Formats: sequence, C-alpha cells, structure tokens
Amino acid sequence: MRGKDFADSPVRTDPREVLEDAFRRFGLERLAISFSGAEDVVLVDMASRIVGRNVPVFSLDTGRLHAETYRFLEAVRERYGIEIEVLSPDAAQLERLVRTKGLFSFYRDGHAECCAVRKIQPLRRKLGELEAWITGQRQDQSVTRTELPVEQVDSAFSMPGRLLTKFNPLAHWRSEDVWAYIREHDVPYNPLHDQGMRSIGCEPCTRAIAAHQHEREGRWWWENDDDKECGLHAQNRIPARAVA
Amino acid sequence: MRITFVKKVLASGEPCAKCRDVEERLERSGLMSRIDRVVVADERDETSEGMRLARRHNVDRAPFFIVLSDERTTVYTVYLKFVRDVFGGEPTPGSELEEARDLLRAHPDLDLV
Repeated sequence: MRGKDFADSPVRTDPREVLEDAFRRFGLERLAISFSGAEDVVLVDMASRIVGRNVPVFSLDTGRLHAETYRFLEAVRERYGIEIEVLSPDAAQLERLVRTKGLFSFYRDGHAECCAVRKIQPLRRKLGELEAWITGQRQDQSVTRTELPVEQVDSAFSMPGRLLTKFNPLAHWRSEDVWAYIREHDVPYNPLHDQGMRSIGCEPCTRAIAAHQHEREGRWWWENDDDKECGLHAQNRIPARAVA
Repeated sequence: MRITFVKKVLASGEPCAKCRDVEERLERSGLMSRIDRVVVADERDETSEGMRLARRHNVDRAPFFIVLSDERTTVYTVYLKFVRDVFGGEPTPGSELEEARDLLRAHPDLDLV
C-alpha cells in the first residue's frame, strides 16, 4: 500500500519538536521508538528528556549482532534507566531457515530471506500492538530515503481500517548533525563506530568503510545494487521515485 | 471495487520474472477473474499506460495493483498484502514469511531498521 506524507501539515524539522508532538498525540502506550543499537541512540536521549524513564523503546535482536552492540544496548538501558523491549525472531521460522539454508545463506541468496525472518517478522509483530512508531531513519542514509518525511502513514505495515503512523524525527538531519548532538550531550554510542562502521547491523553483514564511501556500502556489499529487475527503469530515463 | 494489475515488460521485451510469477499465482488461485484490467508497463516505451500509471501513483517497481474502492485509491506493491487486504483470508506461516520478503523488496529501507 502506498503511503501518504502529511504534505499539508506544518513542516517540523526539529527532532525534539517531532518527538514532543508524537508523544502528545499518541502517549506512551500506543507509540514506541525502534532502536537499532547505532547512532539512533540520539532519539532515546531526546525522548528521555521529554518523557523520562518511561520512554518506550524496542530493539530487534536478530541473534547475529556484534557483541559490542549487545553491550551497547545494556549501556543505554543503564544510562537512561529505561526498559528496552528486545524482540527475537520466531524460533520455528529461524530453525527452519538455518536447517534448510545454513547460517550464511545471505552471502549466496541475498539478505532478504534472512532479514525477513530475523527482522521483518518480529517488527511486524511488535507494530501490530502500536498505532505509531519512531525510527532514526534519515534522508542522507540511502538513495531510497531522499524524500523521507518526518511523519508519514506507514505504507508497509498499515492495514485496512488500521493506519500506522511512522515518525522519522531525524529525517532532515545529516550524519554530522547526529554526531554533533552525540558529542554535545555526551550521549553513549556504539564503539563499532570508532572502527569505521557507519551503518551497524548484523555482524556478518556489516563492514568498516572509508570516509569517502556512502554508509550503505558498509552493508550487504556482496550484493549487486544494479540488480533491480522489479524497478521501473524505462531505460533509466525516468527519475527514481521513492515508494512510500 | 475496480482493480488494475500493472505488470512490466523489460527492455529486452521479456516479462519480468516477478510479474510472471504473480500472474501465475493469480491464475492458480482463481483471483485473476477478480482483476478488472491488466496493464503493461513497457520499459521500452515510457508512454505505455503502465509507465504512466507508475508515474501518476509514484510507484517505482512492478508488479503493482491499483485498487479503486469507494472513490479511494490504494496502491499495493506487495502481492500478498494486496491479496490479504483486498480478498481477505488468514495468512499462513509460509505466506507471512513470503510477504515479509516482498515487503523488503518493496520497501528496501526496512532492512536498515
């Protein structure tokens, strides 16, 4: 289902204002922050300044995260005195995947199947409990996010009669803005960033990159980005437009 | 309700594999008869109706479905979500997983969550 931006709404670009508005409209029971264990920790910091220790946070534990990320999740939990709901994949689906495809099928078959089991299914389960969620997604993270709004109807997980709102408070921030905030407010961060990992995901699918590389190049680097048979290319004459 | 199915023809003239797969599944499940129109998005012709519909609805991949119901238009890029939302039915564990994979295909940002 295609999403709809709130184009007619007043444009809010200050992440703190977006968060305040989100909590005011949805409260603490129907809204949660998705925390990946990376630099989106700034959302946890900002939200904790707004709603204190009750900030609702969940994180997707794929089972393949770096040890540093698991320790970082703990550090964040202790620093802010919050609960982090750590979500795990469905055991039966995961066991079936590993039994039939092995532990590294993503290097051969692409990462979609593994991500579907380890991330998307648990995420969908969690979002089924909510009316809105908050992500750390930014426009500068990938070419598919260049039109990312601060607020949108979540076209991926909404259902007929049950719209899910997605807030992206950092949409207009650049990576530099995030890191300036982290330094200014002494926010804890994942030590993997100091090892050249700009985008942090599962251990087998994350690598360090050079300063001139786009952060997306640090993820699933063995896959061919040009392999987009389903894309409507029109011999590359039609500008790519994001599907909401 | 009026349903339009947009499938793609590649620059080579071949149908895209995913579109062919979805069309076969529509046929097998008997749902093809519920589709009002089948339109081609031809990569060799950006004026083809499917390419024009893709631009109008801001869709950048195929296949996709346009559902007009009660004067409201909804565009689906995930086949199983389209089937579930429009025709109903309970998802099975297998279909849920397949839908999750299709969600990633249609929403590549999700793998970075």
